[in-house]
Parts: sequence; structure tokens; C-alpha cells
Amino acid sequence: MKKCHITFQLNGATTEVLVAPNQTLVGMLREDLGLTGTKYGCGEGDCGACTVLLDDEPVNSCLVLAAQVDGRKITTIEGLADGDRLHPLQNAFIEKGAIQCGFCTPGMILSAKALLDDNPDPTELDIRTAISGNLCRCTGYQKIVEAISHAAKDHSSPEEKS
Amino acid sequence: MNLPKFDYEAPSDLQEACEIKACYGDRAALLAGGTDLLITLQKGWLAPSRVVSLERLEELKEMAGFSAGLTIGARITAAELAESWLGTAEQVLSEAAAQVGSPLIRNRATIGGNLVSAMPAADLAPPLLALQAAVVLNRVGSERVVDLEDFFVAPGEQVMQPDEIMSEIFIPNLPEGSGGAFEKLGVRKALERSIVSVAAVVSLDGDGKTIAGARIALGAVAPTPMLAGEAADSLIGKKATAKNFAAAAKIAAGEARPRGLRTSAEYSRLMVETLTKRALQRAFAAATA
Repeated sequence: MKKCHITFQLNGATTEVLVAPNQTLVGMLREDLGLTGTKYGCGEGDCGACTVLLDDEPVNSCLVLAAQVDGRKITTIEGLADGDRLHPLQNAFIEKGAIQCGFCTPGMILSAKALLDDNPDPTELDIRTAISGNLCRCTGYQKIVEAISHAAKDHSSPEEKS
Repeated sequence: MNLPKFDYEAPSDLQEACEIKACYGDRAALLAGGTDLLITLQKGWLAPSRVVSLERLEELKEMAGFSAGLTIGARITAAELAESWLGTAEQVLSEAAAQVGSPLIRNRATIGGNLVSAMPAADLAPPLLALQAAVVLNRVGSERVVDLEDFFVAPGEQVMQPDEIMSEIFIPNLPEGSGGAFEKLGVRKALERSIVSVAAVVSLDGDGKTIAGARIALGAVAPTPMLAGEAADSLIGKKATAKNFAAAAKIAAGEARPRGLRTSAEYSRLMVETLTKRALQRAFAAATA
């Protein structure tokens, strides 16, 4: 089993890794690179806990081989904050109480980020569809939807920020 | 999250990928979107000596319209299909693609993978059967075209040889005044394997009322995705009325061969009837739009 030498953009930084061919993307992030913000849930693409952005699109990182991201761009939850300044979605999740146990949160926020980058003014249905691959077993989703909607408003009209 | 050991290769074009397949056959597993393959590997259902990623095959990522029809590269994702306007009949495919798995799955899952996996409930199979699609299979030095209705063999099995790679899907042009629609029954809206799915395509005569052509395809109600040929033929030459659609739907329910695995066979047939009626009605509406 020959290891694969890959180079990719990870949260804005060029990253080189020698990775086992049977390593998944979530495995490489958590085990080889120590980025444990990406959670490992079901391992079958059903729960969305391992969501990352691959070339700005949300994917289940348990269903991607690490070797496949050679030459690509990956964004994990660790890549959202700008130093100590949290991303508007992260602030909105805190403000709206959209986090309980927190296990689904990184995935939820990344799915939401992909949505808002594409569609800054989503309807509630757009939001619910965008997070339909991310399961939360605590909140009942209501506060998560509110947080994303709040972040969208915050985002589209910065002058209203207090 | 432990996958069995294998070597990884990422050929740069179809020719190179075919050469690897010619050399290793079934011992080389093709990786496109990975939404099926990685689970299969994880469960130990498949233990290839190498995994061959199609990631770099740009020629499998093209979608183009010709006078004869539309070709869709095998690596086009469900998300890309869902977001494309393909035509009043071909929208049956976009509608189905929009209901594959979840947004996360749709961003990876490919049209080729959905067909090659050959699951009875594959979402993209009924629309492609209804659109009379054919698939292009390549091997070193040659290619063959197989009608999709001759492609599926059994659950998880199709006619591909160990050295073949699916490169594209061809959808012939339908006459003006054609429309398509897809209906899927599940217990939830996301991450759901269809309990029953139905795709319908109808073509109308110049009068906009008489049915000149019809195809109805069913998913998850037989060992393979299937055409309801008698139901579709019963509509030819008839007026596009609710009564005629209902009669055809009844015939389709009789043609279904549910095995009663996920729901009772009786319920499956009832749902085939209901969904076929709806799909025909909406396909007709699309044809007249």
C-alpha cells in the first residue's frame, strides 16, 4: 500500500501530507492533522457531522478519500473565524442558542455557509433544504434555522449591526 | 472508519483509466462520487487491490446538446443535474436528481455511479429509462452503446464487463410538445431510499391533446428499475385525460413486480398507481406549458 503525497489548500494554507491510500478525508483531518472540529458520526453519509467544504461545496468527508483532495481546496470549521473574530454564522448560532451538545454544529455551520455564499437571502425552505443532510438530535432544528436566517440578515445588511 | 488496504491511482484520462481496468479488471474498483463505493469498502463487501479515482477525467464531466440529443458525462453530479434546465421532458431527470440523498450527497453522487450501482431504488434510473437513454461503455480500443432498458440485470448487477468504464449517457431528442415528471415516495424528504418512484414522459400530437408517445418507468418495485410498457402503450392515440391516465396507472400497478421487502407488495402496487397518475398528469402539464 503505497502512500500518496498530496498538496491542497486547507483553510487558506497550502498543506502537504503523505497519506495512506485508504485514509478518508475526515480521518486525515482528525488523525493526521489534528483538526478535530470536523466530527466523525455515522461514517456513511447519513448524519453530516463530518461536513467540510470541498472547493466551496459541502460534502460528507467520510465519503471522500484523502488522496482525492490533491490540488483541491478544503475549508473546515477551524477555517471560519478570523483570528478571535468569529464568523457571523458562529455568532448567530451562539446568540440564538442553536448549539446544545454541539456535535452537529460544525457541519451545520458549513452547510449554512455554503448556502449563504450562494444565496444571501434564503427562504426558510432554502435553509431547511440546505441543512437536510445534517442531523441534529438535540435542538429540533428551530433555533438552527433561526440562527442561519439571522446570520443571513446580518450579512446582507451590515449597517443594521448593533 | 477503517477501510481495507488498497493502492490508489488517479489516471489523467479515459484511455489511461481503461488501461488500468484492462490490466486489473474487477480487482480495480472505480471511484467516482464515492457515495456508494466508500460504504461498500467500509462494510467489507468489496476488497479491490486498487481504487481508481476518475476525479481527473474531465471528459466525463461534459454535458452537451446535439441535434440528435443530449450527452451527459458519467461524472456529472446529481447537484449539477438538479440545477440544470434540460428541457420540458428532460426535467424529469432534474426533478429526480434534486431528490437524491441530501445536498451533501448530491454534491458528490454522479449519474454514472447511480446507474452502475444498479440499485432497484436508484433515483436516476426511472427518469433515464423514461427518456429512452443509452449508456456508452468504454474499454481499451473500443466502445459500445447499450440501451438503458437492457442494462440492468439484478439488484447491484448490470451488463458491464470488468474492463469497461461508463463514460457518458445519451438522451435522444424528443419531439416538440413532450413533457416529463418524476414522483418519489419516501417517509421523509431527505436521505431517503425510494419506497416507490415513477417517471413519466409523454409526447403530444399537434393538437396538444392526443398522446403520440408515452414512457413510464418504475423504481423500487422490481429487482431492477423497469419500464411499464403496457401502461405506456395503452395511452398511445388516446386523449390526455384524467380518466385515461388513471386507467394507464392501473395497468402500471399490475406490471410492477414488488417483492414485498420494504413494504407489502400490495401497498407498493397501490402507490405505483397513485404516483403514475400524478406523474402522467404533471408530464402532460409540462408538455403543454
